Amino acid sequence: MTARTVGFRISRYKPSHIDPPRFESYRIEVEEGMTVLDVLERIRLTLDGSLMYRHSCHHSSCGTCACLVNGVERLACNTRVLDLGTDTVRLEPLRGFERAGDLTVRMETFYRDIEPGWSYLKPSAPSAHGEADSGTELLRFEACIECGCCVSACPASRPRPDFMGPAALAAIHNQMAKNPPDADELLQLAGSGRGERWCERALACSRVCPAGVNPARLIADLRREIKKSLP
Amino acid sequence: MPEFEHIVIIGGGVGGALAHDLALRGFRVTLVEKGELLSGTTGRHHGLLHSGARYVLHDPDAARECWQENRILRRIAAQAIEPNGGLFIALDERDLSFREAFLDRCRFAGIPVDPIPVSQALAMEAALNPTLKAAVKVPDAVMDAWRLPMHFFATAKANGATIRNFTEVTALRMTGRAVTGVEVMDLRTKSTSAIAAGLVVNAAGPWAGRIAAMAGIRIPLQPSPGVMVSVQGRLTQRVINRLQPAGEGDIIVPQRGLSILGTTAWLADDSDTVSVPPDHVPRLFDLCRVLVPAVGGLKPHAVWSASRPLLQSGEAADPYRISRSFDCFDHGRRDGVEGLVTLIGGKATTMRAMAEKTADLICQKTGRLIPCRTRETLLLPYRCFWRSA
Repeated sequence: MTARTVGFRISRYKPSHIDPPRFESYRIEVEEGMTVLDVLERIRLTLDGSLMYRHSCHHSSCGTCACLVNGVERLACNTRVLDLGTDTVRLEPLRGFERAGDLTVRMETFYRDIEPGWSYLKPSAPSAHGEADSGTELLRFEACIECGCCVSACPASRPRPDFMGPAALAAIHNQMAKNPPDADELLQLAGSGRGERWCERALACSRVCPAGVNPARLIADLRREIKKSLP
Repeated sequence: MPEFEHIVIIGGGVGGALAHDLALRGFRVTLVEKGELLSGTTGRHHGLLHSGARYVLHDPDAARECWQENRILRRIAAQAIEPNGGLFIALDERDLSFREAFLDRCRFAGIPVDPIPVSQALAMEAALNPTLKAAVKVPDAVMDAWRLPMHFFATAKANGATIRNFTEVTALRMTGRAVTGVEVMDLRTKSTSAIAAGLVVNAAGPWAGRIAAMAGIRIPLQPSPGVMVSVQGRLTQRVINRLQPAGEGDIIVPQRGLSILGTTAWLADDSDTVSVPPDHVPRLFDLCRVLVPAVGGLKPHAVWSASRPLLQSGEAADPYRISRSFDCFDHGRRDGVEGLVTLIGGKATTMRAMAEKTADLICQKTGRLIPCRTRETLLLPYRCFWRSA
């Protein structure tokens, strides 16, 4: 098994304690297969118990561990350190979010424009995998794990905090498909003064999405629908 | 004790369900968790919402309780559950030898099972090993291991509970032999403070032993880590279990576009040293590709481990035979230390039931008769957690 010593520069911040933020450096022996999250766990358990980062499922389903890895939005849990190919790995919190401490950001603004009651389940395409029992429908969770990567990467979101951003627009698109009776109202929301009009078509959201949601395409769909609905 | 004293809960998954239960019963509650909520054990589990069928052969009480909780959670947190069912499949003569006992005991436990022809199983799940010899439909389901427990946190918060993540307990405050609160460090600021409490509930999962030790108490906790592997691609729509007594590599849990291969288990002294033994990953692939051959052609998407908080049971050294039931210790009665209750054992499927039993004990201790309402109270969507002040 190959192992290599890798340097980690982690942006540290603790309000009124490590303030302004600064980078701290660590050198960690990284084995094949170790992820950025494994390294954070090792630093917390062996070097600094006060290191703050969000994590829960460790397999890219919960969406809590998103951060900037060498400047790019990624999930810490399925980013393998040796695959990055750099001698030093720079870790910073997502951009455009209020910072709670170290790599942890507050998610309140992320959920501001995603209604709590919008469904998180969708039909699970039977395809080659199998069939539903008679009289039932196979369901699965939405692909979006609400990690915040798209919002952090979006060049339109950062200077304009009132823009609802790619995750909320993608959620509107999904909710319209599942609830046709609400589609008109949802489309108005997407076309509102805080909606689709601010998208710069930079496609950064789709590039960084770790769940293959492709918000940029969903936003383009909404844009067409909004145009069609105009008198 | 004063009327409706302040209760401090230490720890994540079950703690969230307990905060919800106690808030509904009118208690003042503060929950503290040393990291992000659900970062210890509950959030890392493979997501199986047990029908109970996995336990019928060796733990009928746990089986019955799982089926009861399965039905309750489907009702109160429907949006956090993929309700697609599961199959137990027999692949050889040994598996077949368990079939009759399995069916009898499922029925005895009240779990609705349905033996189906092999051809039907293959029509339902094309990826199954085509040499399977028998199949039984069971009401398993899959939960989002982060979002389902966050429903409890969201509802508890809306009902007035204070939820403090990144807040580590550094000591228990003692007055004589009684616990009267906790000392905590807020990891955001590294500042320390004290929280007074009429009662402290130690629900720290595999870390509960450390908390109890702060009051000089030893508890029979056995951390049992296990490894899970996820692969890209949803290989099946339903949960696939091997029809055998519980063991390693006997389950594939599909979820979104992933399939999760589970699990291994061993007994450890320390809940924190949970690195993954390298031989466990190929072992899981070998065992799970017998269930679904396509597994063999895939690479790991993620490999992780989690520490289960099992209740020590005498000389049982096999982690699969230790009961998944849980116990609730009133340290006033057990150790002469008032003001502290510890929960040990259990599993994600039964988090609500564990909370109910603990809240019942708290009501009894504090001389109140307030009925539990969590069976019928629909939980708020998890997103409400970030919507309330």
